[in-house]
Amino acid sequence: MTAAHLHLLLNHFPTVAFSIGIGLFVAALFGKNHSLQRVSLVILFLTAALTITTYVSGNDAQQELIESPDLPAALVSAHESAALVAFLFMQLTGFFAWLGLWLWRRAGRLAAWNAGVVLILAVISFGLMARAANMGGDIRHTEIHESKEAAVGDETQTLARSWGAYVEAHSWVWPSAETLHFVGLSLLFGVVLIVDLRMLGIGKQSLSFAALYQLLPLGMLGFTINLATGMMFFVATPKQYTGFLFFFKMVLIVLGAINVLYFMLLNEPWTIDEGRDASNFTKLVAAAAIFIWIAVLFCGHMLPFFGNSF
Amino acid sequence: MDFLLKIQHSGFCEWVRQSDSIFSYSGILLLHTIGMGFVVGVNACIDLRILGFAPAVRLSGMEKFFPVLWLGFWVNAATGTILLAIDVVDKLANADFYVKMVFIALAIINLRMIKTNVLRDPSIDKRPLSGKAKILALTSLILWIGAITAGRLLAYVGPGSGAK
Repeated sequence: MTAAHLHLLLNHFPTVAFSIGIGLFVAALFGKNHSLQRVSLVILFLTAALTITTYVSGNDAQQELIESPDLPAALVSAHESAALVAFLFMQLTGFFAWLGLWLWRRAGRLAAWNAGVVLILAVISFGLMARAANMGGDIRHTEIHESKEAAVGDETQTLARSWGAYVEAHSWVWPSAETLHFVGLSLLFGVVLIVDLRMLGIGKQSLSFAALYQLLPLGMLGFTINLATGMMFFVATPKQYTGFLFFFKMVLIVLGAINVLYFMLLNEPWTIDEGRDASNFTKLVAAAAIFIWIAVLFCGHMLPFFGNSF
Repeated sequence: MDFLLKIQHSGFCEWVRQSDSIFSYSGILLLHTIGMGFVVGVNACIDLRILGFAPAVRLSGMEKFFPVLWLGFWVNAATGTILLAIDVVDKLANADFYVKMVFIALAIINLRMIKTNVLRDPSIDKRPLSGKAKILALTSLILWIGAITAGRLLAYVGPGSGAK
């Protein structure tokens, strides 16, 4: 399978799954169906996570096809710009959907402000994503290239390229973003270690899962810092982030997202009071979380050694 | 100076620098980054808890995670010693290296003060935290961010950095 095929496979998730998520969410809000509200928030959050792999595979496809003479470069650039904006809104939606799920456990219902924010962001993201998908589809339809190419005009000064030029011209940007990426990873690691090692037995006499649950937003903050700084690297120099190792890192992040949902959605972890052991399955999921995030670090760290980074 | 050069050009250091093995430079640096995540991550969670986040988490339980933190610390002391040895002449001539060491030393002293003054206080989870505890938590965060920043900048400033 080539990178272009992979992108063609993955690019259906953001639009299709997001439209299902929005449809269910609207129905659940009108019907005041609480479990359906949670299901739709889960769909929106996981789709946002999956969209990371979609966005990254688009870059692989672009780098793979860049040499082919019949590739409509202007259409690809226009699609890339549209996808970047859609991606950013989608991640924002995913963040607030996650926050809604997190707050749920504390309030027992979805906060009105959260429902409003998620709904507005989701609708905007869907519109932007449909536009990006439509522009991506044009790339495959050679019969309309000429008219479309004329319509998009010169797309060399895209959002992504301007950011790349800015980073190149300002030497402080890259090291600053790297430092923040390290701070974010430390914060994420701290929360993952404390929550998941407790599930494995460390400090169980004085720590319940319900208490440790309050730490999860700090882990999410660390992840958000790293998604933002990671995007700064990726968009500035996309050629560095092609190939298996980086894509695998993104797949592992999706697994990390699924992993944290286990602790947020299932009731079993909530029975783990002070002094109580977690079930064997919960221990397995906790151990997996530590493994997943160390593996994410491994893939990122090894990019300059075994990947395409310089 | 001769002595330092001898270390830097020892067989082991040459191997670490030049081998493509995952157990040489790339793997040692990987362990150094994971260790950082353990030390700074656990310490930052304790700091943020003292500053008021996650109030239901009992601070008296936090000392149980010190072995995890110290594991990260000693892994980083060991890998850091190797990373210093392979580039010892330039590193010792780089002011940023000393800045990093000072930040780490102060952060560790700060951590010990948090342990004796805050975590070991028998009434710690029974009454509001003192202003002194919060100041210690805040300085701890600042010192670790300083250490990370100075460490990252080693690749950019002074002799031995890539940016020449």
